[in-house]
Amino acid sequence: MSMLRSARAFAAIRPTRLLRTYATEAAVPAGSSGKLTFSLALPHDVLVKNETVQQVNLSGSSGDMGVLADHVPTIEQLKPGVIEVIMTNNESKKWFLSGGFAIVNPDSSLNVNAVEAFKLDEISPELVREKTQEAERIISGSGSEEEKVAARVQLEVYEALQAAL
Amino acid sequence: MSSAWKAAGLTYLQYTQLCAAALRNVVKADVAAAFAKRQTTPIKVAKWENGKTVETHEY
Repeated sequence: MSMLRSARAFAAIRPTRLLRTYATEAAVPAGSSGKLTFSLALPHDVLVKNETVQQVNLSGSSGDMGVLADHVPTIEQLKPGVIEVIMTNNESKKWFLSGGFAIVNPDSSLNVNAVEAFKLDEISPELVREKTQEAERIISGSGSEEEKVAARVQLEVYEALQAAL
Repeated sequence: MSSAWKAAGLTYLQYTQLCAAALRNVVKADVAAAFAKRQTTPIKVAKWENGKTVETHEY
């Protein structure tokens, strides 16, 4: 009896919002400005602060994603990869992030945190090639398992960089 | 979702620090000079005896 009552109570407080599954079904939140505000922060710097942008393309760990205004609120882990910010004047800005998190809030604001970010032209393709070979050498070498794990993680970054440059 | 780094026993912080270090490794020299300073954390240690510093170390 008490179990039944608590089940009914749970059903009563369960918000109907949770029942919706698809982004296309979600109603545009009341008071939506139709604008995406974007912030990009590093531990030592703030690269973008509350700027209104058109779209942001991210490389999420579960796949690439594009964020527009009124996106479904989500938290996505980012792999090392390029973030592309398309400004309202269609100009695009690109950074390479070392990995972090993207948080899409219900009020159409997008906050991205990363450990390290550089513009693509700040990265030297020669060094990427050199470090890729170095990491490959460590992986196939006779070093300790920890060294190999670290090299494998870093190789992933260099491969993403090679694809981006 | 299981990642290779997690399977290898790394924590998320270790993983992100490795990725960040990898990215710092390949930055052009003129840009690298600008952030070389913030990569080190200076520590100053002083040993006090009877109200006076007797030993100082900088790391």
